[in-house]
Amino acid sequence: MKGATIPVTEPGAQAGRAAADIGAHPRQRRDRRAAFVFLAPFMLLLIVFQYVPLAVMARNSVLDYTLLNPSDWSFVGLRNFEDMIAYDDALTSFGATFLFAFGVVLLVVPLALALALFLNSKLPARGLVRAIVMLPVVTSAVVVATIWSFLLDPSNGLVNGALAGAGLPRQPFLTSVDQALPAIVAMMAWQQVGFGAILFLGGLQGVPAELSEAARIDGATRLQVLRNITIPLLTRTTLFVVVIMTVFSLQAFAPAFLMTMGGPQESTNLIVYHIYRTAFVMQQPGYASALSVVLLLIVLAISLAQMHLLRARWNY
Amino acid sequence: MTPYRLLFAGLACATCLSAGSAAAQDICEDGQAVTLTILRTPGNYPYPAAMKAWQEKHPCVSFEINEVPFAQLADTISVQAAGASPPDIIVYDGPNTQSYAEAGILLPVTDYLPDGWEDDILPATRAEHSYNGEVYSPGIEQTTVALYYNRALVEAAGIEPPQTLEEAWTWPEALEAFKACQQGPAGAPDIWGLGPTRFGNGQPGLVYQDLLYQRSNGDPEAPQDSSAFRTFWALSPDGSTVEGYLDTPEAIEALTFYRAMFNEEGVAPKVGIPNAFFDGKACFYIDTPAAGNALLAEPTIEWGITPLPYFRTPVVHTGSTTFGATARSAHPEVAARFVVEMSWGEYAYMNVSQRGNLPTLRSLFERFDIYDDYPMKVFVDQLESWGQPRPPSPRFAQYDRIVSEALRDVAFGGDPERAMAGAERNVQRALER
Repeated sequence: MKGATIPVTEPGAQAGRAAADIGAHPRQRRDRRAAFVFLAPFMLLLIVFQYVPLAVMARNSVLDYTLLNPSDWSFVGLRNFEDMIAYDDALTSFGATFLFAFGVVLLVVPLALALALFLNSKLPARGLVRAIVMLPVVTSAVVVATIWSFLLDPSNGLVNGALAGAGLPRQPFLTSVDQALPAIVAMMAWQQVGFGAILFLGGLQGVPAELSEAARIDGATRLQVLRNITIPLLTRTTLFVVVIMTVFSLQAFAPAFLMTMGGPQESTNLIVYHIYRTAFVMQQPGYASALSVVLLLIVLAISLAQMHLLRARWNY
Repeated sequence: MTPYRLLFAGLACATCLSAGSAAAQDICEDGQAVTLTILRTPGNYPYPAAMKAWQEKHPCVSFEINEVPFAQLADTISVQAAGASPPDIIVYDGPNTQSYAEAGILLPVTDYLPDGWEDDILPATRAEHSYNGEVYSPGIEQTTVALYYNRALVEAAGIEPPQTLEEAWTWPEALEAFKACQQGPAGAPDIWGLGPTRFGNGQPGLVYQDLLYQRSNGDPEAPQDSSAFRTFWALSPDGSTVEGYLDTPEAIEALTFYRAMFNEEGVAPKVGIPNAFFDGKACFYIDTPAAGNALLAEPTIEWGITPLPYFRTPVVHTGSTTFGATARSAHPEVAARFVVEMSWGEYAYMNVSQRGNLPTLRSLFERFDIYDDYPMKVFVDQLESWGQPRPPSPRFAQYDRIVSEALRDVAFGGDPERAMAGAERNVQRALER
């Protein structure tokens, strides 16, 4: 880069982009134009398919209409949001969704970490094992949900067959108000644990080996190294896995749609399925939009929390 | 051929062509070609033979057909009907007529109905397909459900199911038969007493089939303010309220029995088992005439039909898919005439005979010999004596979904009172919006 001029940004230079452009080097302006040209198609798609629908959703959240006759709408102000408090469907659905997300995170994080530690060791055919672990992640959610529905069949499912073979009583699983949510949590965890393990594996491979070697020389056991060095240094990765799994769980649709239809007794009525059902079956797209707005705010809050929490105390 | 005959033949051909042209001009404005778009489910009417015959009379009309699975039909209609170019004709579930009429999706076809239609149509069909005094669909087929049985399994258990409506079982009598015929432990037998439905995903709860338990524990002759009267109708006659209609003492009593069949008694599965009855894995099974016609065509098992059991008042639901012209069709006149003509006379016969469900026109019954005698006669008798539409309302789609989910929760072991109280609250909310 001999002869190239490196632009220097003064503190407070962002005060006026126009002023900066005027003073910018011709090459800098050319680079900006090129960047804009490259970014424009993506930004256009982003605006058309993300931000405009978001704006429409926000507008619809204060309307009352049906999909059968959308031109016959009425402005209802905040009534859709008030209905969320007046009726228990939103609370029940958000409650089931948070329980679902909590269960998934609680299962996935330790299992994924254990799996990553296992995969980080010197294994024969390590690549093959990693591929096997990742298989459920890349399998369609519809296929996974269908397979698990067969497995958990209360009369003829494989799991109940195994229980009966072991002399244990058959379980209702997806048809039980107490067992349906844990069952779909188990399914989601089974599908996502591989993804969590790969993330943890990346984190583990970034941990400086000399730290654990030094600790081992000082007499620390493997468990002490794990507890006092590895896990603290994996804080960023752990938080990332927690956030990703939480967001995945909040957006889960297939288990409720394909396995339980939100039942029994709304115990698995996950919020995205509830939004779909409210809009298309109950013909209340205004109310469904209001639910979507609240969900969006919750996901935004989680993202902000992520940005805050990712400021780890340890750096390496 | 003599010159005279040649001349006669020529004149006859010219007459035919001019008649065809006149017909084409009659239905197509200015003789312009018209393409009608039809949204339907796979394997549903209008069937090709009837359409082809109709097209020969109206050569200016062609068709563009789009098909979606039944499970996605209502969603697709709700999206497409409001779009910029809605289909001209939609095939839909009959009880949704009032919803679609109120939303302005369907075109009234009252003015297009032929003379004699009012006298020929079954009253249940007329009621289900009408709204505010207008007919929105003439209807083609009518279905209802009865209790099929596997003759070999039932006879081996020493059971003789009744064959006439007068001798029909009550539900407690039917339960004894299910228990006697079932083979294996309750809840996980090798052969079920009562097989799962083939509708939906095979789980219990569908209003079409399972709301009949509680309705049959009501009484339409009881005083109008009584719970027995309300239990039977399951929705106020004007469709304005459901409060006090679903969680009556009679309904709870019937649903407690219903829950026991899936739980304590363990004679009915909670999830679907594809083809359970046809594969000899169930003694009894509830289905429409379509199952009987399939077994007549391909008798995989020996079978019979017994009238649907009841508690206090025998009742079966009527209804089927039907079709109508859309109000925003680009060719409403042609679409309405096609819909009405497909549902009348020879075209109606051609359509009904394709699938084997019951016709909606009384005049067509005599043309289907299989309905003259047992076992298929049971359906005709039920339809005429016990038939009731599902509770008609402009919010039927919401009612159907909410009540089906409540019934399913009961079948899964939930508290009937809690489930029905919740269903009442949610349906009422939908009715009031």
